[in-house]
Amino acid sequence: MRRTEKLISKMKEMVGEAHLLKDSDRLKSFRIDGKRPKVVIYPATTEEVSKIVAYAFDQTLTIIPMGNGTKIEIGNIPKKVDILLSTQRLNRITDCDCDNLTLTAESGITLREVQKRLAKEGRGYFIPMDPPFTEKATLGGIVATNSSGPRRYMYGTARDLVIGTKAVFPNGDIVVSGGKTVKNVSGYDMSKLLIGSYGTLGILCEMTFKLLPIPEKEATLLIPFVRLEDGDAFVQEIIGSQLLPSSIETLNRSAVRRLNHPVSLPREANYLIAIGLDGVGESIEREISELTERGKKYQSLDPWVLHSEEHQSFWSALRDFAGSLKEGRTSFLSFKSNVLISKGGEVMKSYEEMINQRGMEGAFISRSGNGILYSYLFPGRNLRSKMESLIELIQKLTSEAVKNEGNMIVETAPSILKKRISVWGETRPEYQVMRRLKEQIDPKGIFSPGRFLGGI
Amino acid sequence: MNREQMIEELSKIVGKENVLYSETDLLLYGYDASLFKAKPDCIVLPGSTEEVSQIVKFARRESVPVVARGSGTNLSGGTIPAKGGIVLHFSRMNRILEIDIKNQRAVVEPGLFTLTLKNQLARYGYVYQPDPASERVSTFGGNFGENSGGPHCLKYGVTTNHILGAEVVLPDGEAIWVGGKALDHPGYDLTGLLVGSEGTLGIATKLVLRIVPKPEAVKTMLAIYNSLEDAGRTVSAIIAEGIVPATLEMLDKLTIKAVEESIHAGFPLDAEAVLLIEIDGLKDGMERLAERIIEICKENHAREVKAARTEEERAQLWAGRKGAFGAVARLRPNYLVCDGTVPRTKLPEVLTRVMEVGKKYNLPIANVFHAGDGNLHPLILFDERNEEELRKVHLAGSEILKICADAGGTISGEHGIGTEKKKEMLFVFTPKDISAMRKVKRAFDPEDIFNPGKVLPEVQI
Repeated sequence: MRRTEKLISKMKEMVGEAHLLKDSDRLKSFRIDGKRPKVVIYPATTEEVSKIVAYAFDQTLTIIPMGNGTKIEIGNIPKKVDILLSTQRLNRITDCDCDNLTLTAESGITLREVQKRLAKEGRGYFIPMDPPFTEKATLGGIVATNSSGPRRYMYGTARDLVIGTKAVFPNGDIVVSGGKTVKNVSGYDMSKLLIGSYGTLGILCEMTFKLLPIPEKEATLLIPFVRLEDGDAFVQEIIGSQLLPSSIETLNRSAVRRLNHPVSLPREANYLIAIGLDGVGESIEREISELTERGKKYQSLDPWVLHSEEHQSFWSALRDFAGSLKEGRTSFLSFKSNVLISKGGEVMKSYEEMINQRGMEGAFISRSGNGILYSYLFPGRNLRSKMESLIELIQKLTSEAVKNEGNMIVETAPSILKKRISVWGETRPEYQVMRRLKEQIDPKGIFSPGRFLGGI
Repeated sequence: MNREQMIEELSKIVGKENVLYSETDLLLYGYDASLFKAKPDCIVLPGSTEEVSQIVKFARRESVPVVARGSGTNLSGGTIPAKGGIVLHFSRMNRILEIDIKNQRAVVEPGLFTLTLKNQLARYGYVYQPDPASERVSTFGGNFGENSGGPHCLKYGVTTNHILGAEVVLPDGEAIWVGGKALDHPGYDLTGLLVGSEGTLGIATKLVLRIVPKPEAVKTMLAIYNSLEDAGRTVSAIIAEGIVPATLEMLDKLTIKAVEESIHAGFPLDAEAVLLIEIDGLKDGMERLAERIIEICKENHAREVKAARTEEERAQLWAGRKGAFGAVARLRPNYLVCDGTVPRTKLPEVLTRVMEVGKKYNLPIANVFHAGDGNLHPLILFDERNEEELRKVHLAGSEILKICADAGGTISGEHGIGTEKKKEMLFVFTPKDISAMRKVKRAFDPEDIFNPGKVLPEVQI
């Protein structure tokens, strides 16, 4: 107890009493897998973060960084949570250089806010990322979890779009990598190491992103199919063609039904393929007609097109699928599988069968151009009684992904289930190197201990 | 262990014919495209991952450095065996293992030439986007080690954006896979960390590359200017218009002269600068975009804009750019190429200051660079037999990098740090940054076997 008091008084000195939470009632709502932090602290500058971390390092106290917490549930149950470090006050855009097509901002600002600002600059710009939790996701959280959305098909992910980082390492050092230039091979690419490292190596404080001008025009083509095999063959043809959609998504009926959007499938259809298009006006019209023609070869039903508002709201419903399920208080588990691009359809089919065989409902959203499949499983009531069957199912789903040269992450699951499964999928030999990196960079194991794969 | 024993042991692994150690060989594999030289103990040509693994295990046991090498086109002394040891030359591991169109991946060995793969891909209508100027001979192992760039990086990103996985031999001799054909493997992005690590962390023995269908249409234009500043302003104006071309390359007067004398690309000799502009993508709207670009060039005082009408004309324009380094080499016995990169908006002012450095040291500077992404390549011409010039050229090079760093840029955009720019690392990094990188090195190579003495300067914390 004395240690906690000392910690709190130290933290007060560093950020001021107004910027920390210590009352046990308030702290309850910050539990991660049931583990309550001793204090939640809100530093306002990278230097403050550095001081907090240096103190924690000295005292061997554990720290978990968090933005708005939209993805904080992902990962193993933490070994210990002493300090929850909120990035919410690190919320400035530090350099908006649209002429150079770069933007630098602190980690606690939401992507939403950044995009709003960029839209107003000059002829209008954006960071070409569309990860889930549109309203709340912070830049730091997006990058730390390597979160991405449908438009990654055309624009890539954080590893393609983040060109510089400033992070606080476990010894308190402020470490800079990359910068404002799109080409940079000076030293090791530490930014790559931090992207998707889930707060286990460094606390991201500032990042530089590549920007693009907002496209002239956007639209969505929705094409229903009766059979997944047909839809998948159509998708494979598009991927191999010279057409340039910005996203290609395949949804099953359950996903369309649960989508927080008025779009619905015709009665005879079972799958919906949604193609996002952006670019110059002429190209969009031609792509719509060509895609429609190509779809007919694969027995598509009549497609339809969404423009402007409808187009925007469709994609935000799609990327916020998990978020709206949470708001609806539906109990669900969610998985992210990565597989070979050409196997996306097959894997979705086999997942669907495995889940249906067990009398459960599964909603699927496949990022078909990238081989990324998001599955949402609705186990129904009385989860405890289904535990064994869920564990077995998760193993099967994981093996199926591994068989297709990928893996599976369990993103959403109750703690009682997490304890008994491998949240990060099957461990590969490269894990040995990851562990050595963690030991070198965080020898005391104070950053998000135990949460990452293999207990890193 | 003496050298004879070493050669004997290594011969047991790869066969006698694949270990080179004559005086000539030691000279040939002791230099690259930089100004540095050193001497290895021997050169070994492995034929398989297993052999690489055994060689590395041997080297580790005997504490002998290992430097991986492709064609030696490195521009920063990255392939120089600075502390002797074994040069691993990958000319025998040069196969395309798989072209997997369905999954849009190619799997290659590290000794394969970049262009050789591209020529094969063309048969399927596919491309591998990065296009280092040396692609005719540069190897994928080298592209991986250096995170090579090229003109098309403006739109498509650099090598790291196109390498998705690798089989890597670690300094303990173990071969592991990082990443793979599928995207988003759980865990740290080791592939992303290894690309550009200049052979100091791991040696790639297989590489998984992203390949994509060739763009439907491409349009190449050449804009000719009476002033370098106007050409620079055009670059900013095109980007500000919301157009992101595939390439935006600039050549200055001295380079144009050299190129015309050797390649005859059709660049006018009296121009102060030319801009090579290429857009690609869907054919729809492309004419309109090209017309708009031509207008922007003219608004910025281009005296003439030519558009390639045929594939041949396009190839001719490109020959001028791709052959520029070679052509400049005819002007003086040697040149030092700087690789400083700045935010693209800083180009005009940085360019002016670069030319001032040339005047200060009385050394001619030719400029040929990736204007669209802010990557300068001032070529400082000199004669290495003239000791005074040799001394000055290093000072001038370092001064140019300082200018780039001070303009918010960096000291290397695509050529690497190697031996050459270690000291200048401190222009852009603090000792704490370097110390964090040092931890990465220790995690992979605690005994400093792989390409020792490169990239990271010694710092006191």
